[in-house]
Formats: sequence, structure tokens, C-alpha cells
Amino acid sequence: GVAPLGAVPLQKEHQSQFQMMESAFYHMPQPSDSERLRTYLPRNQCSTPVYYIQQPLPQSDTLEFYQRLGTETLFFVFYYMEGTKAQFLAAKALKKQSWRFHTKYMMWFQRHEEPKTINEDYEQGTYIYFDYEKWGQRKKEGFTFEYKYLEDRDLN
Amino acid sequence: DRTTGGPIVHIHNGILQVRSAPNYEDPPGLVEKTDFLIRDWISVYNSQPTGRDSTKAFSLFVHQMNCQGILKTDDLITRFFRLSTQLCVESVYRNMSDQNLTGNHLRVKCFNTLDAFVRLVALLVKHSGDSTNSTTKIHLLNKVLGIVAGCLLQDHEQRGTEFQQFPYHRIFIMLFLELNVPEPVLETINMHVLTAYCHTLHILRPSKAAGFCYAWLELVSHRVFMGRMLASTPQQKGWAMYAQLLIDLFKYLAPFLRNAELAKPVTMLYKGTLRVLLVLLHDFPEFLCDYHYGFCDVIPPNCIQMRNLILSAFPRNMRLPDPFTPNLKVDILQEIAFGPRVLNNFSSMITPITFKKDLDSYLKLRAPVTFLSELRSNLQVSNEPGMRYNIPLMNALVLYVGTQAIGFIRGKTLTPNMQTIAHSSHMDIFQNLAVDLDTEGRYLFLNSIANQLRYPNSHTHYFSCTLLYLFAEANTEAIQEQITRVLLERLIVNRPHPWGLLITFIELIKNPNYKFWNHEFVHCASEIEKLFESVARSCFVQKT
Repeated sequence: GVAPLGAVPLQKEHQSQFQMMESAFYHMPQPSDSERLRTYLPRNQCSTPVYYIQQPLPQSDTLEFYQRLGTETLFFVFYYMEGTKAQFLAAKALKKQSWRFHTKYMMWFQRHEEPKTINEDYEQGTYIYFDYEKWGQRKKEGFTFEYKYLEDRDLN
Repeated sequence: DRTTGGPIVHIHNGILQVRSAPNYEDPPGLVEKTDFLIRDWISVYNSQPTGRDSTKAFSLFVHQMNCQGILKTDDLITRFFRLSTQLCVESVYRNMSDQNLTGNHLRVKCFNTLDAFVRLVALLVKHSGDSTNSTTKIHLLNKVLGIVAGCLLQDHEQRGTEFQQFPYHRIFIMLFLELNVPEPVLETINMHVLTAYCHTLHILRPSKAAGFCYAWLELVSHRVFMGRMLASTPQQKGWAMYAQLLIDLFKYLAPFLRNAELAKPVTMLYKGTLRVLLVLLHDFPEFLCDYHYGFCDVIPPNCIQMRNLILSAFPRNMRLPDPFTPNLKVDILQEIAFGPRVLNNFSSMITPITFKKDLDSYLKLRAPVTFLSELRSNLQVSNEPGMRYNIPLMNALVLYVGTQAIGFIRGKTLTPNMQTIAHSSHMDIFQNLAVDLDTEGRYLFLNSIANQLRYPNSHTHYFSCTLLYLFAEANTEAIQEQITRVLLERLIVNRPHPWGLLITFIELIKNPNYKFWNHEFVHCASEIEKLFESVARSCFVQKT
């Protein structure tokens, strides 16, 4: 750098400011410090070789992108990235694929066939659901989906 | 004034409360009660995954606070906040010295404590007073922010280099996010929340708490904070407060930057500052436009790129003509008829009042000549090399004389150009400064002029003509060399480059009237000569 006006020695006040700043420099704020707690996927910074992708793909925070992801990925995002925009987009994408969230079982269901019965309070039939404990899709025959447990908030 | 006086009073009361704590004992048992209550709350907050927002746990807690007599008086409530802040911060320090805790585990443990505390504060603020009474909520918030700031300052002072910015950073940012969720109760008090935060951050500015400077910059530049301050608050009500925080940052950096010896900690903060400026230039250029004067006043003259970022900002609805267009006629651009918005009262910065009076009278009467010969002594403040001149006064004088000149020329129903700006009291002052000042003074003077070379507007045009006129009429090569230097050093740094600066420099090297290439300083060294040639090549590129 250049100092066209010449260097001026730091005053005492600035020297002590520098000392405090220097000690703060050795424990810098971390990205996680200004984020909500991530329970399952905490930030774990490490340097990766430059020939690996360093940034997510552009437009990867859009619904269109989430609609191109596999259902299992969407379930992963939904259960492991709670309270984030990603979870919101995953839920939206799942709904677009006709998955419905059951608020009592906390699992996603999809009709396997036209329900045998449909009335005001429930529908009954064979469903595919995603079991987050066994981490896989299961089929359930003769299941009653009570509408009071249907998550039907408008996600817009 | 309740909106500005109010919050400051409560914040300062909060700070005072912490500062004077050793002088007045807490009532017996209060420390233990607070400790018990806050521990209980932390465990409730962390044990129920669904209970985090639950009003049930909160009303139970308020009931307990009531039973313990904490809600009886205002004094006891603030003592409770002071003690609980200190307890939470202490527990963070304890965790940090625990050898078994590292990385994420340490962070998570500390977050559990701090986030619980923040949630408690947010709930208490939200539910204090009835739902329509915002005054109580705002008072409480200001008090709490003052208490946390007071604890920070005391901790900073007492622990010295052992101070940790992390717990305070977490409390401030999480509380801010809590208070900015879309809820009607919070939306009605949002402007007050922003004001309270700005005051608190101003109190905690880096020159007051240098050990907090990185967290401070993280807070100021946080996307939610910046968005609320500059975008979502109507009528640009947050702009002046946000500008103040940036000025605090520039002022703190100035003594370190002017020596150009950048130690790692300074470089880190400087890089962060550049990033913030880039974000502002991209997302809020009008903000940088409006406050450019105040910013340039506090940025050291050698910080060329930092200033270029500010001076390159232009209103988004404007289309700038390409400066490299052959035969571009600046005089016929419509924009140059309009003055830019300058939100600093620069004419009041011309002091003392007698000097301002003499200046005005000279501008009017073009007499006495002694005014010119005394100009230099009015600007000079010491004999110390590098610190001889009052830079803010120089900046104010240059802009004031320039705006007066534009008004004067318009008053004669003319427009500023190379002919109309000449032979007036205004140009007398500028020519006198160019001739009479020493190298240091002239450098600062020319920089003041160059700070006005921005997007197409009346100031840019007037000062561009002025600089070229000073070059053409210079009686020594030294002046011409210095004008060239000031322009060139602003152009050889990386982009962005202000539009008016490019226009002026291109005119200087292209227009044969200035005989630029005949000057000795252009050919003094082969590197310099090559540099000019390469700049010239890029300027003369013909578009096909």
C-alpha cells in the first residue's frame, strides 16, 4: 500500500485498540454463531480441494430445483433440516407429488390406489408412507387417514 | 424528543446499572433466586422440543418469577436481567475453558444456554404490558439492550485480551431475529427495535469495544439487519442511522489504514468492510449516493478503492453513457442539469463563523484580495507533516464554493462549461488553492474535487470542468503533475471506477488543447510512460 501523507505513529489509544482486536482475531465469529441451532447437520468447516465444487449450484434454492430431487432426498431434507427454507421447499415439492403429511404420525403418505371409502372425516384404502425410523417406504393396506390429522396449510 | 431521547435514556440507564453494580448490593437472596430461575428456564427450554414457543412454559415461569417477588419493582426486574446475563456469560466462559469441550460440542452447549436466555427476553418483551401498549415493551427492550451492552463493556474492560465476543454476539443477533419474526405485535414496534439496536451498536462501536469489532461488523452487515434498515422500513427511515454505523466503522479503521501497514487483524476487518460496501453498491446504490460526502470525509485519502466503491454508486433508474464512446458530448446529457442529493449539511461545517462570513462576502464581492492570501492559514491546523490540514474543512469548502458557483452561473441563465466557470470569485478561490498550497495541501484539495466526480449530475460536470480548467491554466508543471496523479491513482486500482472520473481523465488525454503528451512528467520514467500508453489504448479503442 501507499501512504501519500506519510506514516503517523499510532497513538496509545490505537495501540490498545489493536491489542484487543488482535486477541479477538484469534477467536473470530463462526458462521454458526448467527444461525439457529442445527441439531443434525451442524456446520463443519474444512478446506476442500479447489477442484471440488465450492458453492452449491445456482438456482438450487428454488422449488423447480427441489422438484427434480428424489423423494428420499426430500424426506431427508424434511426431517434433518428443521426450520429452514430447505425444509419448506422440500415439503412443497412433496405436496406437488401428491404426498400428504400426517400430523399425528409425523409421516408422509401417498395414495397407492383410489381410496375404498371417502367421507367428510376420513378416507380409507392402501397407502405408501415413508417411515423415518426404518428410513424407507412402506405399504399399508386398509389405512384410515383422518382428515383432522391432514396438514393442509397453504405453503405459499 | 421521545423517539430519539427515549431509547438512549433507557439504554444508558441499563449500562449505568451494570457499571454501578459494585456500589449497591443486590438484596439478599436475589442472586440465588435468579440463578435458580434461569437454570430452570434453560432446562425447560432445552427439554421439550415442542415447548420452545409454548406459552404454557412461559406463563409458568412468569408465575414463578412472581412468587419469588422479582416482578415487584422495576429495580428488581433490571437486577434480574443483569444477573441472568452475567450468569449466562459466565457459563460460556466456563465451557470455553473446559478442555473436554471443543468445536461443535462447545458451540452447542453454549447455544443451549444463550438461546434459552434470548427466548426468555423476547417473550418478556412481547408480553410486557397489554397487547396494545407498546411503550412498556420498548422500554423493557431498551433496558435489556443497555444491560447487555453494560455487561459487555465491563467484561471487555476487566478481562482485557481474555475477552470473548462470542456470547454477546449470540445474544444480540438471536434476540434481533426473535424480534423480527412476522407477528403483528412485533411489527408495530419494529421501528423502535431497529432504533434501539442502532443506538446499542453505536455505543458498542469498535473504537469503544475493539475486542468486539468482528462480531460488531457481523451484526451490522447481517442480511436481516441490513434488509430491515435499508429496504423494508418505509421512507428510508433507517438510512441515517445505518450511515452512522458505517461512519463509526470507517473512523475506527482510519488510523490503521492511513499508514498502509496492514497487520492481519486489520486486513481482516478491512476485507469485511469492502465486502459490506460491495453489497451496498450492488443492492442499495442510492444509499451510498446520498451519504457519499460523510463517508469520504472519514475515509483516509490513501484508501482509493474503498472510496471508489462509494463514488461509483449511481441511482438504479439511470443509464450511464459508456465513457469510451467516441465524441461523447457530456454537455448535452440531460442529467447534468440536476444536482445530486447530499444529505450532509456541509455548509455548517465551514468554521469558524467569521471564516464562513468572509467566504460568503468574498464570493459576492470578489474582494478583499487578502481573503485569498489568508485562505491557506484558515485550512492549516498544524506543522506536523501529513497532518497539516483540516481535511473535513477542505472538503466542505470545495463543495460549498462549487455549489455556490453552479447557482451563480445558473443565476445568469447560463450553464456551467469551460468558459462560464472561469473568471469568478469561485474560480479565484480554486486557483488560489492550487497555486498557494504546498504539495500536501494541494493533494487534499484535488482529492476533494475528485470526490465529486461521480455519475452524471451538475456537481460531476462542474468539478470535471474545474479540474480540467485548473490543469489548463496551471502556472507550473507541478500542479499538472499532481492533477494527473490524483486522477491516475484512482484509475489504476481495480474496478469499479466512478463515471465522472473516467470522463475527466479521458478528456484530459484526448483533447489536444491540454497538450497532455508534451508534459515531462508523462515521460519521466519508462514504467509511467507505459502505464499512460496502456490507459490511452483502452480509452481510444474504437467501437465498431
